[in-house]
Amino acid sequence: MNAASAIPTVDLTRNHADEGGAVRIAVKGLNFYYGSFHGLKNVDINFHDRQVTALIGPSGCGKSTLLRCFNRIYSLYPEQRAEGQILLDGENVLDPSVDLNELRSRIGMVFQKPTPFPMSIYDNVAFGLRLYEKLQKSELDERVEQSLRKAALWDEVKDKLRQAGTGLSGGQQQRLCIARTVAQRPEVILFDEPTSALDPISTGRIEELIEQLRDEFTIVIVTHNMQQAARISQFTAFMYLGELIEFGPTNRMFMNPVEQRTQDYITGRFG
Amino acid sequence: MPALTETIALARPRAAAARKGPSRSLDTLFRVCSYGAALFVLVVLAGILGSILYGGWPAFREFGFAFLTSSAWNVGTEQYGALVAVIGTVASATLALLIGVPVSLGIAVYLTQLCPGWARKPVAMTIELLAAVPSIIYGMWGLFVFAPLFARVIQIPVSNLVEGLPIVGTLFYARVPSGVGVFTAGIILAIMIVPFIASIARDMLDQIPTVLRESAYGIGCTTWEVVRHVLVPQASVSIIGAIMLGLGRALGETMAVTFVIGNANRLSASIFDPSSTIASRIANEFNEADGLQLNALMALGCILFVITFVVLIIARLLTRRVKAA
Repeated sequence: MNAASAIPTVDLTRNHADEGGAVRIAVKGLNFYYGSFHGLKNVDINFHDRQVTALIGPSGCGKSTLLRCFNRIYSLYPEQRAEGQILLDGENVLDPSVDLNELRSRIGMVFQKPTPFPMSIYDNVAFGLRLYEKLQKSELDERVEQSLRKAALWDEVKDKLRQAGTGLSGGQQQRLCIARTVAQRPEVILFDEPTSALDPISTGRIEELIEQLRDEFTIVIVTHNMQQAARISQFTAFMYLGELIEFGPTNRMFMNPVEQRTQDYITGRFG
Repeated sequence: MPALTETIALARPRAAAARKGPSRSLDTLFRVCSYGAALFVLVVLAGILGSILYGGWPAFREFGFAFLTSSAWNVGTEQYGALVAVIGTVASATLALLIGVPVSLGIAVYLTQLCPGWARKPVAMTIELLAAVPSIIYGMWGLFVFAPLFARVIQIPVSNLVEGLPIVGTLFYARVPSGVGVFTAGIILAIMIVPFIASIARDMLDQIPTVLRESAYGIGCTTWEVVRHVLVPQASVSIIGAIMLGLGRALGETMAVTFVIGNANRLSASIFDPSSTIASRIANEFNEADGLQLNALMALGCILFVITFVVLIIARLLTRRVKAA
């Protein structure tokens, strides 16, 4: 935090891109509608390669909605639609011609609650792999182990890979879901309040894990927990009533927000 | 914390509970009634089982184990065996499941995953209406409308096609292509059990949390993969339960089957040939039966009881295994 306070109090919103390396996802003029309700209003935001970006804001502000645009999971519901552009490495994912299944294998998602599939621990991880890659048994075994190790779960489950994934504890289940996502080697991982159903110890482990995953993946995380955003993210976006209010490096956002509303929210005056 | 202690001190100790009314005796009465209701079911079940066993006993004593393995059913010579009816029952119910289960699951998946919102209600309503059709209507429709059509469109062409071929030539050859037979009964039964299985399976698929479905789509599954590998296994225990409920109905269904199965006491390897089920045999004969024939019918009833009981046990074992996995 000391390093953060050393940041000069100039407007950094213009040149934050320099700090985070290349832009991985560029959102341009994104509008989102739930039927006639206007859920996201003209959102422009960039997400940087191999950085953690936290989306914060009060309930119903559109953070999850924004997250759900990236892999177009919203399109399961016919009344929901998005307009604008989301460029992933220059390709617009909102283009109707995009192959949704392939897109979702490139953009992994971890949900509020652990969602192990009704199969063994091994199969939970191998399932996504088998969908998109033809692997030999030995390669598959290796990838499963690798993914479980990355999710810091290997040591706990290596002796019971054939047991049901639903038999694990909540925190373990969530790490299993992360292993499942990581196994597909996606470019981006979306976390939708991944620790909201977990106890503090499990939460801590997931946060550590996200820090480590940053070496390989571009990460976007929705969180209600401001401390969590401050702890694990390099960039923070504050949203309110479907609008992006402010976006910048996490340190500056928390130490020195430009907008009054950001200031009010992070200091707990509303939300 | 002076404020807190004050509040506690201010709270008056509650007066000893003074109850009004004769609650104690009423409670006892309530308990006895509840016990009685539960016991009543047991007594009725035991009564039914006991009386059929008693009624069927002379037949079992007369024919012994051969009652199960004999295909005779001759009122004149007083020779009775259950084999044809047992095979007919099991075969028609199995056919009903083979046809009905895929259709039911298809309906359930369509309604929960694919159907546009506005069409859900009408389609679901139609299927539930199907469950409300009395079985005699199915029987009548099956005999007068479906069977002739089935004979003309399927039985005759298929019989001509497979005649003389090994295995299929016996399995799908109709000696008398009248349209009635085991297969027709299976189809009619399938239509009858579809609404049950479909509506339970739909409810179960509906109860699966949205996040599970979304996370399956989220790793790039197609709708088929989501349904096949995630949703159906997730609901498998309840779906097996639903299927067993349907099987129970198919095994015991009487009226519709009696119309379309042909009521022949002949052992045949062809599913196009007429046969009988336990229920249809009883329905056909109990009116004029007396003496050993009546005993034999009662014994058939016992066997049906046992078959349904075994189905129930298998269902329990299956669901337990699925739960453990």
